[in-house]
Amino acid sequence: MHPHDHTPIVAAEEAPGYYEIMETAVRELLVAKQIISAGEIRRHLEVLDSRTPQLGAKLVAKAWVDPAFKKRLLANGRTACEEMGISFYENTELTVLENTEKVHNLIVCTLCSCYPREVLGLPPDWYKLTPYRSRAVKEPRAMLAEFGTVIPDDVEIRVSDSTAMIRYLVLPRRPDGTENMTEEQLAALVTRDAMIGVVPVEFQKGRVQ
Amino acid sequence: MNHSEELLKRLPNDIGGQPGAPIQRTEHQYLPWEKRCHALADILDMRKIVSTEEKRRGVESLGAEMIGKLTYYERWVAAFANILFQKGILTPGEFAVKMEEVAARHSRGTAA
Amino acid sequence: MIAGIVKDEGDDPRFHAGDKVGISVRFPVGHYRVPHYIRGKKALVEEVVATPAIDNEEEGFGRNVGLKRHYYRVSIPLTELWPGYAGSPHDGLRIEVYENWLERI
Repeated sequence: MHPHDHTPIVAAEEAPGYYEIMETAVRELLVAKQIISAGEIRRHLEVLDSRTPQLGAKLVAKAWVDPAFKKRLLANGRTACEEMGISFYENTELTVLENTEKVHNLIVCTLCSCYPREVLGLPPDWYKLTPYRSRAVKEPRAMLAEFGTVIPDDVEIRVSDSTAMIRYLVLPRRPDGTENMTEEQLAALVTRDAMIGVVPVEFQKGRVQ
Repeated sequence: MNHSEELLKRLPNDIGGQPGAPIQRTEHQYLPWEKRCHALADILDMRKIVSTEEKRRGVESLGAEMIGKLTYYERWVAAFANILFQKGILTPGEFAVKMEEVAARHSRGTAA
Repeated sequence: MIAGIVKDEGDDPRFHAGDKVGISVRFPVGHYRVPHYIRGKKALVEEVVATPAIDNEEEGFGRNVGLKRHYYRVSIPLTELWPGYAGSPHDGLRIEVYENWLERI
Protein backbone atom coordinates (compact mmCIF):
# COMPACT_ATOMS: atom_id res chain seq x y z
CA MET A 1 0.00 0.00 0.00
CA HIS A 2 1.30 3.39 -1.01
CA PRO A 3 2.34 5.41 2.14
CA HIS A 4 0.14 8.36 1.13
CA ASP A 5 -2.86 6.24 0.13
CA HIS A 6 -5.99 7.46 1.90
CA THR A 7 -8.26 4.76 0.50
CA PRO A 8 -10.61 3.69 3.27
CA ILE A 9 -10.02 0.11 4.43
CA VAL A 10 -13.70 -0.64 4.15
CA ALA A 11 -14.98 0.33 0.69
CA ALA A 12 -18.12 2.42 0.47
CA GLU A 13 -21.18 0.42 -0.57
CA GLU A 14 -21.20 0.11 -4.33
CA ALA A 15 -23.64 2.44 -6.02
CA PRO A 16 -26.68 0.68 -7.47
CA GLY A 17 -26.43 0.30 -11.21
CA TYR A 18 -28.99 1.63 -13.68
CA TYR A 19 -31.09 -1.52 -13.71
CA GLU A 20 -31.09 -1.92 -9.95
CA ILE A 21 -32.36 1.65 -9.75
CA MET A 22 -35.02 0.73 -12.30
CA GLU A 23 -36.09 -2.35 -10.32
CA THR A 24 -36.29 -0.28 -7.13
CA ALA A 25 -38.35 2.40 -8.87
CA VAL A 26 -40.84 -0.13 -10.29
CA ARG A 27 -41.24 -1.87 -6.95
CA GLU A 28 -41.57 1.28 -4.86
CA LEU A 29 -44.09 2.90 -7.20
CA LEU A 30 -46.23 -0.23 -7.30
CA VAL A 31 -46.12 -0.48 -3.51
CA ALA A 32 -46.97 3.24 -3.12
CA LYS A 33 -49.96 2.77 -5.43
CA GLN A 34 -50.93 -0.29 -3.37
CA ILE A 35 -50.84 -2.54 -6.40
CA ILE A 36 -48.48 -4.90 -4.59
CA SER A 37 -47.15 -4.87 -1.04
CA ALA A 38 -43.59 -4.83 0.22
CA GLY A 39 -44.53 -7.75 2.45
CA GLU A 40 -45.51 -9.89 -0.54
CA ILE A 41 -42.13 -9.32 -2.17
CA ARG A 42 -40.29 -10.11 1.06
CA ARG A 43 -42.31 -13.25 1.60
CA HIS A 44 -41.85 -14.45 -1.95
CA LEU A 45 -38.08 -13.90 -1.70
CA GLU A 46 -38.14 -16.33 1.21
CA VAL A 47 -40.17 -18.79 -0.84
CA LEU A 48 -37.63 -18.54 -3.67
CA ASP A 49 -34.69 -19.01 -1.30
CA SER A 50 -36.29 -22.14 0.09
CA ARG A 51 -36.48 -23.77 -3.34
CA THR A 52 -33.16 -25.46 -4.08
CA PRO A 53 -32.08 -28.61 -5.93
CA GLN A 54 -32.26 -30.41 -2.58
CA LEU A 55 -36.03 -30.56 -3.01
CA GLY A 56 -35.73 -32.28 -6.36
CA ALA A 57 -33.11 -34.61 -4.93
CA LYS A 58 -35.49 -35.65 -2.16
CA LEU A 59 -38.17 -36.48 -4.72
CA VAL A 60 -35.69 -38.56 -6.72
CA ALA A 61 -34.42 -40.45 -3.67
CA LYS A 62 -37.95 -41.19 -2.51
CA ALA A 63 -38.89 -42.43 -5.97
CA TRP A 64 -35.87 -44.72 -5.93
CA VAL A 65 -36.86 -46.37 -2.64
CA ASP A 66 -40.66 -46.19 -2.78
CA PRO A 67 -42.20 -47.73 -5.93
CA ALA A 68 -45.70 -46.50 -5.10
CA PHE A 69 -44.46 -42.91 -4.75
CA LYS A 70 -42.51 -43.25 -7.98
CA LYS A 71 -45.69 -44.30 -9.76
CA ARG A 72 -47.52 -41.25 -8.41
CA LEU A 73 -44.60 -38.97 -9.29
CA LEU A 74 -44.52 -40.21 -12.88
CA ALA A 75 -48.30 -40.01 -13.23
CA ASN A 76 -48.54 -36.40 -12.06
CA GLY A 77 -45.45 -34.56 -10.89
CA ARG A 78 -47.28 -31.60 -9.49
CA THR A 79 -49.68 -33.52 -7.25
CA ALA A 80 -46.83 -35.72 -6.03
CA CYS A 81 -44.92 -32.54 -5.11
CA GLU A 82 -47.94 -31.09 -3.34
CA GLU A 83 -48.24 -34.36 -1.42
CA MET A 84 -44.71 -33.63 -0.14
CA GLY A 85 -45.58 -30.04 0.80
CA ILE A 86 -43.94 -28.51 -2.29
CA SER A 87 -46.47 -25.95 -3.45
CA PHE A 88 -46.51 -24.52 -6.97
CA TYR A 89 -46.61 -20.74 -7.19
CA GLU A 90 -46.67 -20.81 -10.99
CA ASN A 91 -49.61 -21.94 -13.08
CA THR A 92 -47.72 -24.91 -14.49
CA GLU A 93 -47.77 -28.69 -14.49
CA LEU A 94 -44.77 -30.91 -13.76
CA THR A 95 -43.96 -33.99 -15.80
CA VAL A 96 -41.21 -36.18 -14.39
CA LEU A 97 -39.20 -38.01 -17.04
CA GLU A 98 -37.68 -41.33 -16.04
CA ASN A 99 -34.26 -42.27 -17.37
CA THR A 100 -33.90 -45.99 -18.03
CA GLU A 101 -31.47 -48.39 -19.63
CA LYS A 102 -33.08 -47.57 -22.95
CA VAL A 103 -34.04 -43.89 -22.65
CA HIS A 104 -32.12 -40.79 -21.61
CA ASN A 105 -34.05 -37.57 -21.06
CA LEU A 106 -32.88 -34.00 -21.05
CA ILE A 107 -34.77 -30.75 -20.66
CA VAL A 108 -34.45 -27.36 -22.31
CA CYS A 109 -36.42 -24.22 -23.07
CA THR A 110 -35.30 -23.03 -26.50
CA LEU A 111 -37.53 -19.94 -26.50
CA CYS A 112 -36.74 -18.60 -23.04
CA SER A 113 -35.82 -20.26 -19.71
CA CYS A 114 -38.75 -22.39 -18.52
CA TYR A 115 -37.42 -24.56 -15.72
CA PRO A 116 -38.93 -26.56 -12.82
CA ARG A 117 -38.19 -23.75 -10.36
CA GLU A 118 -40.45 -25.00 -7.59
CA VAL A 119 -38.28 -28.10 -7.16
CA LEU A 120 -34.87 -26.98 -8.39
CA GLY A 121 -34.71 -23.26 -7.57
CA LEU A 122 -33.42 -20.76 -10.12
CA PRO A 123 -31.62 -22.10 -13.19
CA PRO A 124 -27.89 -21.79 -13.89
CA ASP A 125 -26.75 -19.22 -16.47
CA TRP A 126 -25.69 -21.82 -19.03
CA TYR A 127 -29.25 -23.20 -19.18
CA LYS A 128 -30.53 -19.74 -20.20
CA LEU A 129 -27.80 -18.86 -22.70
CA THR A 130 -27.79 -19.43 -26.45
CA PRO A 131 -25.41 -22.37 -26.85
CA TYR A 132 -27.44 -24.77 -24.69
CA ARG A 133 -30.81 -23.63 -25.97
CA SER A 134 -29.86 -23.79 -29.63
CA ARG A 135 -27.92 -27.06 -29.54
CA ALA A 136 -29.90 -29.27 -27.14
CA VAL A 137 -32.63 -29.92 -29.73
CA LYS A 138 -30.29 -30.37 -32.69
CA GLU A 139 -27.16 -32.13 -31.49
CA PRO A 140 -27.87 -33.43 -28.00
CA ARG A 141 -25.19 -36.11 -28.13
CA ALA A 142 -22.35 -33.77 -29.07
CA MET A 143 -23.56 -31.27 -26.51
CA LEU A 144 -23.85 -33.87 -23.73
CA ALA A 145 -20.31 -34.97 -24.52
CA GLU A 146 -19.18 -31.46 -23.60
CA PHE A 147 -20.69 -32.11 -20.17
CA GLY A 148 -18.66 -35.33 -20.06
CA THR A 149 -21.74 -37.46 -20.71
CA VAL A 150 -21.58 -40.05 -23.46
CA ILE A 151 -24.86 -41.75 -24.27
CA PRO A 152 -24.47 -45.10 -26.09
CA ASP A 153 -25.98 -45.33 -29.58
CA ASP A 154 -28.51 -47.94 -28.48
CA VAL A 155 -30.00 -45.55 -25.91
CA GLU A 156 -32.76 -43.26 -27.16
CA ILE A 157 -32.39 -39.57 -26.28
CA ARG A 158 -35.56 -37.58 -25.63
CA VAL A 159 -35.18 -33.82 -25.52
CA SER A 160 -38.15 -32.05 -23.93
CA ASP A 161 -38.53 -28.41 -24.98
CA SER A 162 -40.87 -26.45 -22.67
CA THR A 163 -43.04 -23.98 -24.53
CA ALA A 164 -46.22 -23.72 -22.49
CA MET A 165 -47.68 -25.14 -19.29
CA ILE A 166 -45.56 -28.21 -18.63
CA ARG A 167 -42.28 -28.08 -16.74
CA TYR A 168 -40.01 -31.09 -16.67
CA LEU A 169 -37.76 -32.82 -14.16
CA VAL A 170 -35.53 -35.73 -15.05
CA LEU A 171 -35.63 -38.76 -12.74
CA PRO A 172 -32.06 -40.00 -13.20
CA ARG A 173 -31.01 -43.63 -12.90
CA ARG A 174 -29.97 -44.88 -9.53
CA PRO A 175 -26.27 -45.73 -9.63
CA ASP A 176 -24.99 -49.23 -8.87
CA GLY A 177 -23.58 -49.89 -5.42
CA THR A 178 -26.19 -47.78 -3.62
CA GLU A 179 -28.45 -50.65 -2.60
CA ASN A 180 -27.84 -50.23 1.13
CA MET A 181 -28.05 -46.45 1.28
CA THR A 182 -30.70 -44.57 3.17
CA GLU A 183 -33.03 -42.16 1.40
CA GLU A 184 -31.06 -39.27 2.88
CA GLN A 185 -27.76 -40.66 1.64
CA LEU A 186 -29.24 -41.20 -1.80
CA ALA A 187 -30.60 -37.66 -1.97
CA ALA A 188 -27.11 -36.31 -1.25
CA LEU A 189 -25.87 -37.93 -4.47
CA VAL A 190 -28.45 -36.32 -6.73
CA THR A 191 -27.23 -33.11 -8.37
CA ARG A 192 -29.17 -30.36 -10.10
CA ASP A 193 -27.45 -31.14 -13.38
CA ALA A 194 -28.54 -34.79 -13.17
CA MET A 195 -32.14 -33.61 -12.86
CA ILE A 196 -31.72 -31.43 -15.95
CA GLY A 197 -30.37 -34.53 -17.67
CA VAL A 198 -26.90 -33.35 -18.68
CA VAL A 199 -24.99 -35.67 -16.33
CA PRO A 200 -25.77 -38.97 -14.59
CA VAL A 201 -25.89 -39.43 -10.83
CA GLU A 202 -22.52 -40.77 -9.79
CA PHE A 203 -21.43 -42.96 -6.95
CA GLN A 204 -18.03 -44.44 -6.44
CA LYS A 205 -17.63 -46.86 -3.57
CA GLY A 206 -14.81 -46.04 -1.23
CA ARG A 207 -14.49 -42.48 -2.52
CA VAL A 208 -15.28 -39.62 -0.16
CA GLN A 209 -18.37 -38.00 -1.69
CA MET B 1 -35.15 -6.77 -52.47
CA ASN B 2 -35.53 -5.98 -48.80
CA HIS B 3 -35.22 -9.03 -46.55
CA SER B 4 -36.04 -7.18 -43.37
CA GLU B 5 -39.24 -9.24 -42.99
CA GLU B 6 -37.09 -11.99 -41.43
CA LEU B 7 -36.67 -9.68 -38.44
CA LEU B 8 -40.42 -9.72 -37.94
CA LYS B 9 -41.06 -13.34 -38.82
CA ARG B 10 -38.41 -14.80 -36.54
CA LEU B 11 -38.28 -13.58 -32.95
CA PRO B 12 -34.78 -12.95 -31.55
CA ASN B 13 -35.29 -15.68 -28.92
CA ASP B 14 -36.33 -18.35 -31.48
CA ILE B 15 -32.94 -20.02 -31.67
CA GLY B 16 -33.66 -23.75 -31.42
CA GLY B 17 -31.46 -25.57 -33.91
CA GLN B 18 -29.34 -22.61 -34.89
CA PRO B 19 -25.57 -23.12 -34.93
CA GLY B 20 -24.27 -22.75 -31.39
CA ALA B 21 -21.01 -22.23 -29.57
CA PRO B 22 -19.41 -24.71 -27.14
CA ILE B 23 -21.12 -24.88 -23.77
CA GLN B 24 -19.50 -22.88 -21.00
CA ARG B 25 -20.94 -23.92 -17.68
CA THR B 26 -21.16 -20.36 -16.42
CA GLU B 27 -23.04 -19.68 -13.24
CA HIS B 28 -23.23 -16.63 -11.07
CA GLN B 29 -24.54 -15.90 -7.64
CA TYR B 30 -27.84 -14.12 -8.18
CA LEU B 31 -27.49 -10.47 -7.09
CA PRO B 32 -30.04 -9.23 -4.53
CA TRP B 33 -31.70 -6.92 -7.06
CA GLU B 34 -32.00 -9.82 -9.53
CA LYS B 35 -33.75 -11.96 -6.93
CA ARG B 36 -36.04 -9.02 -6.12
CA CYS B 37 -36.77 -8.67 -9.83
CA HIS B 38 -37.64 -12.35 -10.00
CA ALA B 39 -39.92 -12.05 -6.96
CA LEU B 40 -41.57 -9.01 -8.52
CA ALA B 41 -42.24 -10.94 -11.73
CA ASP B 42 -43.79 -13.84 -9.82
CA ILE B 43 -46.01 -11.50 -7.75
CA LEU B 44 -47.16 -9.62 -10.86
CA ASP B 45 -48.03 -12.94 -12.51
CA MET B 46 -49.79 -14.38 -9.45
CA ARG B 47 -51.81 -11.18 -9.05
CA LYS B 48 -52.62 -11.21 -12.77
CA ILE B 49 -51.19 -7.73 -13.21
CA VAL B 50 -48.55 -8.75 -15.77
CA SER B 51 -48.64 -12.41 -16.78
CA THR B 52 -45.49 -14.41 -17.41
CA GLU B 53 -46.48 -14.61 -21.06
CA GLU B 54 -46.83 -10.81 -21.27
CA LYS B 55 -43.38 -10.51 -19.77
CA ARG B 56 -41.98 -12.93 -22.39
CA ARG B 57 -43.58 -10.90 -25.15
CA GLY B 58 -42.29 -7.71 -23.55
CA VAL B 59 -38.73 -9.05 -23.56
CA GLU B 60 -39.04 -10.12 -27.21
CA SER B 61 -40.29 -6.61 -28.05
CA LEU B 62 -37.04 -5.08 -26.82
CA GLY B 63 -35.53 -6.27 -30.08
CA ALA B 64 -32.36 -8.08 -30.99
CA GLU B 65 -29.86 -5.37 -30.07
CA MET B 66 -31.14 -4.84 -26.54
CA ILE B 67 -31.61 -8.56 -26.03
CA GLY B 68 -28.00 -9.09 -27.03
CA LYS B 69 -26.61 -6.33 -24.83
CA LEU B 70 -28.72 -6.51 -21.67
CA THR B 71 -28.35 -9.33 -19.16
CA TYR B 72 -31.24 -11.61 -18.26
CA TYR B 73 -32.82 -9.57 -15.45
CA GLU B 74 -31.93 -6.26 -17.07
CA ARG B 75 -34.18 -7.38 -19.93
CA TRP B 76 -36.96 -8.28 -17.50
CA VAL B 77 -36.94 -4.95 -15.72
CA ALA B 78 -36.78 -2.96 -18.98
CA ALA B 79 -39.69 -5.01 -20.31
CA PHE B 80 -41.69 -4.46 -17.10
CA ALA B 81 -41.29 -0.70 -17.31
CA ASN B 82 -42.61 -0.72 -20.90
CA ILE B 83 -45.51 -3.05 -20.12
CA LEU B 84 -46.57 -1.06 -17.06
CA PHE B 85 -46.59 2.13 -19.16
CA GLN B 86 -48.65 0.41 -21.86
CA LYS B 87 -51.18 -0.69 -19.28
CA GLY B 88 -51.38 2.79 -17.79
CA ILE B 89 -50.27 1.51 -14.40
CA LEU B 90 -47.21 3.75 -14.36
CA THR B 91 -46.37 6.77 -16.46
CA PRO B 92 -42.94 7.40 -17.98
CA GLY B 93 -42.83 10.79 -16.25
CA GLU B 94 -43.41 9.58 -12.71
CA PHE B 95 -41.07 6.70 -13.36
CA ALA B 96 -38.23 8.98 -14.45
CA VAL B 97 -38.74 11.16 -11.37
CA LYS B 98 -38.68 8.08 -9.15
CA MET B 99 -35.51 6.77 -10.73
CA GLU B 100 -33.79 10.10 -10.07
CA GLU B 101 -34.95 9.99 -6.47
CA VAL B 102 -33.61 6.46 -5.97
CA ALA B 103 -30.28 7.32 -7.63
CA ALA B 104 -29.94 10.45 -5.48
CA ARG B 105 -30.32 8.46 -2.25
CA HIS B 106 -27.05 6.77 -2.75
CA SER B 107 -25.03 9.84 -3.66
CA ARG B 108 -26.54 11.72 -0.67
CA GLY B 109 -25.59 8.84 1.57
CA THR B 110 -21.94 8.86 0.55
CA ALA B 111 -21.40 12.61 0.40
CA ALA B 112 -18.05 13.34 2.06
CA MET C 1 -70.55 -40.58 -17.42
CA ILE C 2 -73.55 -38.38 -16.57
CA ALA C 3 -75.92 -37.95 -19.50
CA GLY C 4 -77.47 -34.74 -20.72
CA ILE C 5 -74.47 -32.48 -20.40
CA VAL C 6 -73.90 -30.11 -23.30
CA LYS C 7 -70.19 -29.55 -23.89
CA ASP C 8 -68.79 -26.15 -24.67
CA GLU C 9 -66.60 -25.56 -27.69
CA GLY C 10 -63.06 -26.53 -26.70
CA ASP C 11 -64.15 -28.81 -23.82
CA ASP C 12 -63.14 -31.93 -25.70
CA PRO C 13 -59.66 -32.21 -27.13
CA ARG C 14 -59.61 -32.38 -30.90
CA PHE C 15 -56.68 -34.81 -30.94
CA HIS C 16 -55.78 -37.85 -28.88
CA ALA C 17 -52.67 -39.81 -27.92
CA GLY C 18 -51.51 -41.79 -30.94
CA ASP C 19 -52.82 -39.32 -33.54
CA LYS C 20 -50.49 -38.35 -36.35
CA VAL C 21 -50.49 -34.58 -36.74
CA GLY C 22 -48.71 -31.96 -38.77
CA ILE C 23 -47.41 -28.72 -37.26
CA SER C 24 -48.88 -25.84 -39.25
CA VAL C 25 -46.80 -23.44 -41.24
CA ARG C 26 -47.58 -19.79 -40.67
CA PHE C 27 -45.57 -16.77 -39.57
CA PRO C 28 -47.20 -14.77 -36.81
CA VAL C 29 -45.51 -11.49 -35.92
CA GLY C 30 -45.42 -10.02 -32.43
CA HIS C 31 -45.40 -13.15 -30.32
CA TYR C 32 -45.49 -16.89 -30.85
CA ARG C 33 -44.61 -20.03 -28.95
CA VAL C 34 -44.21 -22.47 -31.83
CA PRO C 35 -40.56 -22.27 -32.82
CA HIS C 36 -39.54 -22.21 -36.48
CA TYR C 37 -37.66 -25.48 -36.20
CA ILE C 38 -40.84 -27.59 -35.81
CA ARG C 39 -43.13 -25.83 -38.26
CA GLY C 40 -44.33 -28.05 -41.08
CA LYS C 41 -43.00 -31.18 -39.39
CA LYS C 42 -44.91 -34.40 -38.82
CA ALA C 43 -45.49 -35.34 -35.20
CA LEU C 44 -47.18 -37.92 -33.04
CA VAL C 45 -49.46 -36.95 -30.16
CA GLU C 46 -48.00 -38.50 -27.00
CA GLU C 47 -50.30 -36.93 -24.45
CA VAL C 48 -53.18 -34.49 -24.20
CA VAL C 49 -52.62 -31.90 -21.48
CA ALA C 50 -55.88 -32.43 -19.62
CA THR C 51 -56.79 -28.92 -18.55
CA PRO C 52 -57.77 -26.67 -21.47
CA ALA C 53 -56.05 -23.31 -21.44
CA ILE C 54 -55.88 -19.88 -22.98
CA ASP C 55 -53.88 -19.49 -26.19
CA ASN C 56 -50.51 -18.29 -24.90
CA GLU C 57 -49.85 -16.36 -28.10
CA GLU C 58 -52.83 -14.15 -27.22
CA GLU C 59 -51.99 -14.23 -23.52
CA GLY C 60 -48.75 -12.48 -24.41
CA PHE C 61 -50.81 -9.42 -25.26
CA GLY C 62 -52.81 -9.50 -22.06
CA ARG C 63 -55.71 -11.69 -23.04
CA ASN C 64 -56.35 -13.86 -20.00
CA VAL C 65 -59.99 -14.79 -20.59
CA GLY C 66 -61.90 -16.43 -23.39
CA LEU C 67 -62.13 -19.67 -25.24
CA LYS C 68 -59.78 -22.38 -24.05
CA ARG C 69 -58.29 -25.19 -26.05
CA HIS C 70 -55.89 -28.01 -25.33
CA TYR C 71 -52.14 -28.29 -25.47
CA TYR C 72 -50.59 -31.50 -26.75
CA ARG C 73 -47.24 -33.00 -25.93
CA VAL C 74 -46.06 -34.30 -29.29
CA SER C 75 -42.99 -36.23 -30.34
CA ILE C 76 -40.93 -35.58 -33.46
CA PRO C 77 -37.92 -37.74 -34.40
CA LEU C 78 -34.73 -35.68 -34.64
CA THR C 79 -34.22 -37.25 -38.09
CA GLU C 80 -37.48 -35.54 -39.14
CA LEU C 81 -36.27 -32.20 -37.80
CA TRP C 82 -32.68 -32.23 -39.07
CA PRO C 83 -31.61 -33.65 -42.43
CA GLY C 84 -28.49 -35.75 -41.91
CA TYR C 85 -29.02 -36.06 -38.14
CA ALA C 86 -26.00 -37.99 -36.87
CA GLY C 87 -27.31 -39.57 -33.67
CA SER C 88 -29.61 -42.54 -33.14
CA PRO C 89 -32.68 -42.72 -35.43
CA HIS C 90 -34.70 -43.17 -32.23
CA ASP C 91 -33.66 -39.82 -30.77
CA GLY C 92 -36.63 -37.49 -30.51
CA LEU C 93 -38.04 -34.18 -29.41
CA ARG C 94 -40.99 -33.76 -27.07
CA ILE C 95 -42.69 -30.38 -27.26
CA GLU C 96 -46.04 -28.84 -26.28
CA VAL C 97 -48.12 -27.38 -29.06
CA TYR C 98 -51.48 -25.60 -28.84
CA GLU C 99 -54.43 -27.09 -30.66
CA ASN C 100 -54.66 -24.32 -33.25
CA TRP C 101 -51.19 -25.16 -34.57
CA LEU C 102 -51.97 -28.83 -35.29
CA GLU C 103 -53.52 -30.39 -38.39
CA ARG C 104 -54.73 -33.91 -38.87
CA ILE C 105 -52.64 -35.82 -41.43
